[in-house]
Amino acid sequence: MRHFLVMTAFAGLAAVVFGIVAKDSKREQFVYGLKVFAEFLVIGLVLGWILYFLPF
Amino acid sequence: MIFLEVDLSQEDNEHSHETAPAKAWLMGAAGWFVPGLGHMLQGRWGRALLLGGAVWVCFLLGFYMGGHLFQYDGSLLRLPPMIGNLGTGLLYIVPWYLGYGFTDDVQRAALPTFEFGWTFLIVAGLLNYLSMLDAFDIAAGRKS
Repeated sequence: MRHFLVMTAFAGLAAVVFGIVAKDSKREQFVYGLKVFAEFLVIGLVLGWILYFLPF
Repeated sequence: MIFLEVDLSQEDNEHSHETAPAKAWLMGAAGWFVPGLGHMLQGRWGRALLLGGAVWVCFLLGFYMGGHLFQYDGSLLRLPPMIGNLGTGLLYIVPWYLGYGFTDDVQRAALPTFEFGWTFLIVAGLLNYLSMLDAFDIAAGRKS
């Protein structure tokens, strides 16, 4: 659980910066930030499960 | 058939002579030195709070989780993370001056979040590089 929280904090902080820096309008920044946040979480979880099944 | 003749060489020259004003370099340097300051000096309070805040929180969380900063000690492998850490400006310089936060002591290394910690510290610096470039672009008039 702690690892997931840390991953969520990381995704949130990176999403804030990426969103603001990459887009111009506030709406675009918000949408892009949310997208980056979701991508970090989903990719992190998928990679976590793939690594879980690896025998080495 | 109509052919349009465009003198691209002149257009290229105009772009190549475009230089950023001194103010932009100053804002970029301020943004690097204290995360958020580059935007604050331009009256961009919202951006300063969010960008600077993200960097500060990332850095403080890194230390809280037991992370340590990197410095070059002759090993090339330590150079890339040090460049990442250096992005936080004053937040790196002060601990370096005080000699705090650079050692892997056993208690901190035993924490389950130890590796997250130094990752957060590096990422704080990398995020501040982006924030610094944003402050530079705004001051140079390349961004609204």
